[in-house]
Order: sequence, then C-alpha cells, then structure tokens
Amino acid sequence: MPEITVKYEDKVIERIVTEKKRISIGRGNENDIVLENRGVSRKHAMIEFNDKAAVLIDNESLNGTFVNSRKVSEEVLRDQDVITIGKYSLIYNTETTHDGGETSNFDGTMVLNTRQQKKLLENDRIERQIVEKYGGSVLLGVENADFAEHRLDREVSTIGKAKFVHIRARGFWLSGIQAKIVREGQVYSLVNLGKSGKTKVNGEETSQCVLKNGDLITVGKTTFKFVEGKTG
Amino acid sequence: MKYGLISDIHANLEALQAVLKDLEKRGVDSIHCLGDVVGYGADPAACLKLVEQTCDTRLLGNHEYAALGLQSCEQFNEAARTSAEWTREALEDKALAVMADFELHRSLDDMYMVHASPFEPDQWHYIFSSNEAMQAFEHLKQKIAFFGHSHIPMILRERPGDLPSAQAGHTFCADPEVRYLINVGSVGQPRDNDPRACYVVYESEELELEYHRVEYDIAAAQRKMSAASLPETLISRLSAGI
Repeated sequence: MPEITVKYEDKVIERIVTEKKRISIGRGNENDIVLENRGVSRKHAMIEFNDKAAVLIDNESLNGTFVNSRKVSEEVLRDQDVITIGKYSLIYNTETTHDGGETSNFDGTMVLNTRQQKKLLENDRIERQIVEKYGGSVLLGVENADFAEHRLDREVSTIGKAKFVHIRARGFWLSGIQAKIVREGQVYSLVNLGKSGKTKVNGEETSQCVLKNGDLITVGKTTFKFVEGKTG
Repeated sequence: MKYGLISDIHANLEALQAVLKDLEKRGVDSIHCLGDVVGYGADPAACLKLVEQTCDTRLLGNHEYAALGLQSCEQFNEAARTSAEWTREALEDKALAVMADFELHRSLDDMYMVHASPFEPDQWHYIFSSNEAMQAFEHLKQKIAFFGHSHIPMILRERPGDLPSAQAGHTFCADPEVRYLINVGSVGQPRDNDPRACYVVYESEELELEYHRVEYDIAAAQRKMSAASLPETLISRLSAGI
C-alpha cells in the first residue's frame, strides 16, 4: 500500500497509509492531508491512485507544488519522490515502510517563509532554462567540477578521472571510469563501476540507483546535481 | 628497452599462462596488454587478475567496454553477444573495477599503444584496408604504434604520397625513417590459421621486432568453455586458428 510521510522542516509529522483512490491535500479541514499554513491553498493538490501509478495534480495553487524541486502541474509519482508544498515535504513511498501508526509531534501554526518559496521558484526557473537550452537532462557541476554543464544525451555517459571519459571527476583514488549514467527513455540510472564507496547520491554510497530531479551525485571529490529534462 | 606486447587474450587462461611463461624466458623489461582481456573464453576473472599483476600497460578493448556496459552488444555477432552477456554475468564488481582502471590508449617513449585504431580509439575501427591504415597514420604522432582487435598479425608501413603497405606479421628490423602500425596478433583466439598463441617482443634501441608463437593446451581451454555452455563456434575455432 502506498505511504506518504509528511514532514515539516525535516521533522516527521505524520505517516499516512492509504487505500483510497484519491487523496486531497490542502489547508482546509475537509482535506485528507491537512497542511496548516497560509502558504498552502485550501484545496492545494490531490493524488490519484490507479492500478499502475499515482498521479499528483496541482489544483492551480497560488504557491505551487514541487516534485523533487521541480514545479509541476501534473506528475506521475515515483518511489521516494519528494513533494514540496510550502514548508512541508511529503515523501511518497510505493510501499509501506513503517509498521507503527500515525505519529504526531506537530504544534503551533506556521507562517510561510516567502524567501524560501522565492528561492524554490527561482531555482526551478533557472534549471528549466538549462534543460531547455540542452533539450534534455543535464548534470550540473556543483563542487570541484571542471565543466559546469554536461548534457546527458548519450545512452551511456561515463564519469571518472581518465581523460577519455565524458564527465571528468577529481580524486586521487578514483578509477579511470568510476561510474556511468545510463539513459533508458526518460529514466536515468547511476551505476558505480570502479572502486567501491567512491560514488554517492545525496551523501549515501550507491552501487546503482535511479536518479531523481535534484539528486546530488558525488564522484570522488566532485559533486554534480542531476537536473531532469522532463518538464512537469 | 625490451617490451612484450600482448593483445586479445579473450579469457583464455591457458594461452595467457603459456605466453607469460615464454615472455619470462625472453627477459623483457615490461609487458603491455592492448585490450580484450575478456570475452569469448571461460576465464575472464582469472585473466584480468593475471594481467593486473604482470602488465605495465592495461588497455581497454571493445569487450571490456561491453562488459562494463559502456556500449551495447548490438554490433556483435550472435556468438560474441552470447559470450559478452555470459562475461558480464560472470564478473563480480571487483573484476569490473579492475577494468574500470584500464586506459583507452597510451604513449610510451616513441611508441603508441591502442586496442583498435589511433583514429577514434573508443570507436573500435578495424584496420584492414590501406585506406583505414592511412586514416590511422594521420592520427598517429609517434614513430611506431602497436594495436590488436582484428587478431591478425600484420605490419603496416607508411609511404608518404602513397597508400601504406601491408604485410603479414613477421620478425624484422624497423627502418628508423619509416613509421609503422603493428598488429601484435591474438593471445587467446588467433585468426590467421595458426592456432598457437601470438605475441610480439619489441627491442626499442635496435628497432628489432619479433613475432612469437606459443603452443598451449587448447583442449583444456575448450573443455572449460564447453562446461560454461559457451557457443560451439567459439570453442571449435580455437583449434583451427580462425
């Protein structure tokens, strides 16, 4: 059964396991997930479930709905996707991860931090411009990267310290070809090929994982941000 | 300096062991492997380990690229594709990491080493025709290049104003005024009608180049391939050298 974890500033407020075909999200008490915040519209968004997928639909909300830092109007959710609404994060899991019931340590009413909201929208705008320029997903050099923007238009893009790889990364102990990014349609996967422990996604070691918009990929001492080319 | 040059081992451990033993006898200063350590044969992991321990140069071949999943096997024939898929399954992450440290090409003193062609090394162009050889020379900066890929021992001489000349691999003394492309043949799957393992010794001061052929236990390599259910055509070709 799908599970949605509601977080406020990294604090888990609620875990919702649902069998419903449709759940509503918003400020109003009539919603299935109530987010008490002035930055959240009364009927902000909803998630519709069918046999194959869960689809998040933004209800033309004022401040917008984001999936993995990308502003969306309608989006098919994937496991571990992070939905941002105001200061809230809703993490979507295709399967229940916890046995326990609902937890709640949420108190008080929050005021939307407009600076954060502006930053979110500005980042979204910049990243959309970049993927538009390249016509697809891009790897942006964030830290210690020789070249700032790498278009991921090949079936396989290699990352490592060798001169002949597509994307150079730094680190004395890195393998020549440390990792690869494999494109299958709209899905991009990162696979470690070289020495173990040198490829990380959002700070965690990985041998293979599907990339999501906004993921931070660290290869050796170099960090890249994965910006998905698919528009929401 | 006396260099041992080996290529296209293709997971044939018996052939590799025989060649390394022969090289030891000849007292080379260093051994250089020009790629395709894996693919076709039954011992990819053991061959990778041995190459890692003994060779100063370890180059990527198209079969390493396939095993690392850096190119699709669509261009391979059916038997090659089956063996490439088998190889990918047979290799653990540690063995993949060994290949991930191989180089695409290497320059050393006056010589250049590559698996297929100095022209676009990662596109694995074959050098069979004079035109292909000419294109390769155009992208070569050094006096002499060693390569493999086709499994056919071959000497290509550059002739300014004319197409390069080609000869079957044989022991000879290089002309210091001429540039050469040398195919060192194949250790593990020779295709020049001689089933014996093939390699080259290059003496750089005297410009002497020797081709060597080494007998090895072909039947033992074939038995392992049969046990691994590798395609019959790949097994039988070893005894014919085709």
